[in-house]
Amino acid sequence: MNFARGFWFVLVFLTLVVLHYTLRPVLDWRASIDFLAIAVLLVAVRARPGVATIVGFAVGITSDAMMPSAFGAGALAFSVVAYTASSLKAAFFADNIALNAVFVFLGKWVGDLVFLAAEHRLGGSEFLAQALLWSPLAAAVTAVVGLGVLVVLRPVVGTPRG
Amino acid sequence: MLVACVLLSLVALVLPSPIRSTVAGALRGTVVVPLASLQERAEVSRRAVLAYDASVRVADSIRLQAGQSDVIAAENERLRRLLGLGAALKWGFVPAEALHGRGLGDDYTMTLTVGRNEGVEPFSAVVAPDGLVGMIETVDARSSVAIVWPHPDFRVSAMSADGTAFGIVYPHLGAGATRFLLELRGVAFRNALRPGTLIVSAGLGGVYPRGIPVGTVLSELKTAEGWARNYLLRPAVRPADATAVMVVQPTRAKEGVSAAWQHAVDSALRMVVSAGDSLAKQRADSLATAERQRLDSLQALRPRPDSLPAVRPRPDSTVPPGGAP
Repeated sequence: MNFARGFWFVLVFLTLVVLHYTLRPVLDWRASIDFLAIAVLLVAVRARPGVATIVGFAVGITSDAMMPSAFGAGALAFSVVAYTASSLKAAFFADNIALNAVFVFLGKWVGDLVFLAAEHRLGGSEFLAQALLWSPLAAAVTAVVGLGVLVVLRPVVGTPRG
Repeated sequence: MLVACVLLSLVALVLPSPIRSTVAGALRGTVVVPLASLQERAEVSRRAVLAYDASVRVADSIRLQAGQSDVIAAENERLRRLLGLGAALKWGFVPAEALHGRGLGDDYTMTLTVGRNEGVEPFSAVVAPDGLVGMIETVDARSSVAIVWPHPDFRVSAMSADGTAFGIVYPHLGAGATRFLLELRGVAFRNALRPGTLIVSAGLGGVYPRGIPVGTVLSELKTAEGWARNYLLRPAVRPADATAVMVVQPTRAKEGVSAAWQHAVDSALRMVVSAGDSLAKQRADSLATAERQRLDSLQALRPRPDSLPAVRPRPDSTVPPGGAP
């Protein structure tokens, strides 16, 4: 990755983080777009698993700072998702749009499941509704937006590392 | 690296609550400050947008209710006065709603929601609490059409409320806004009417019973005729405001209806008399003021005793002290 591409990549990453804290509260959807997940997955498909895990951990611990009751759950979820995505990117990122969408969808959903399991806040039917209804819906919305980001930014930030 | 991050995450999860809060607070106070600020502003913006919509809705609702309350209050007042008129007439009238058209020529007619079935007959007077509205022209089974006073064919014999001057009231066929005024024509030259004089129907001709207010004198119209006076009248009733009216049946008209508007006649007479009294009092006051000013001026011209120069003895005419000259 040359300097220009690296600059654009950082800019896109920061833009996604900013969108997470500006656009998402304004939209206030029940199944909201997770721009942090998109940002982490964007890093995961272009970096080695170790770097991706650190970025995932940093992003997760930053988001956890906003909700001390679940402090560490986001870090755990993003670390796992970033490492897994970075390890599996060769299977998914074969210039196949549908696979990319599935990749983002699964990344977000798995991340939510890890988060829900780690924070121990919801239980019973609430946990099931969140895990099987709202999280997949949020993952679907995030997948649509993430796919758009990946497609639009591919000429700018380059293709994923093979 | 994964193991290290996972371990750190698990440690964060199992930390005691005070320590977790301290660490989270430290992050919020340093690296997360800009993000927290962004999120706060975004949420404030969203609340502002939602609050704006809600406040606009509230303001619109209040405005609508205020507008409706004015209309309802005016309608209540009209209906209350109509009830008062009905109580004064006692019998021989048909209450009706007046439907105003919006077409060409509809300024001169109105459709009433009562007809032959309710006892309405052609050439019956149509009245409102304020006075005369018009006359029934055609009657159907369940509706009727009345001409109102701006109609070019409208005529009513009229007189001043005190019965001293008589004439015929016509619509004023002027241009612009004066089209919706009335004229009292053919008043004897010796009967000068003051502005504000109430004009009522005279009861001559058999259509309009005596004593229904028609209008009030605004001014005298200049005409070439030297033997009669014409006056411009302000109508007692605006047709657009007459949404509920009463049709006076001919049998009731023969009995006379002037008692129903007697209070209006009395108050108009009182107003004219008090206006005359006020004019007389004002004239007397001004005369007294002028007389007082004249006396003050005369008083000011008269020399004052203490303003006369003192007579001093000349030095050569004085007697030296202690001896006679």
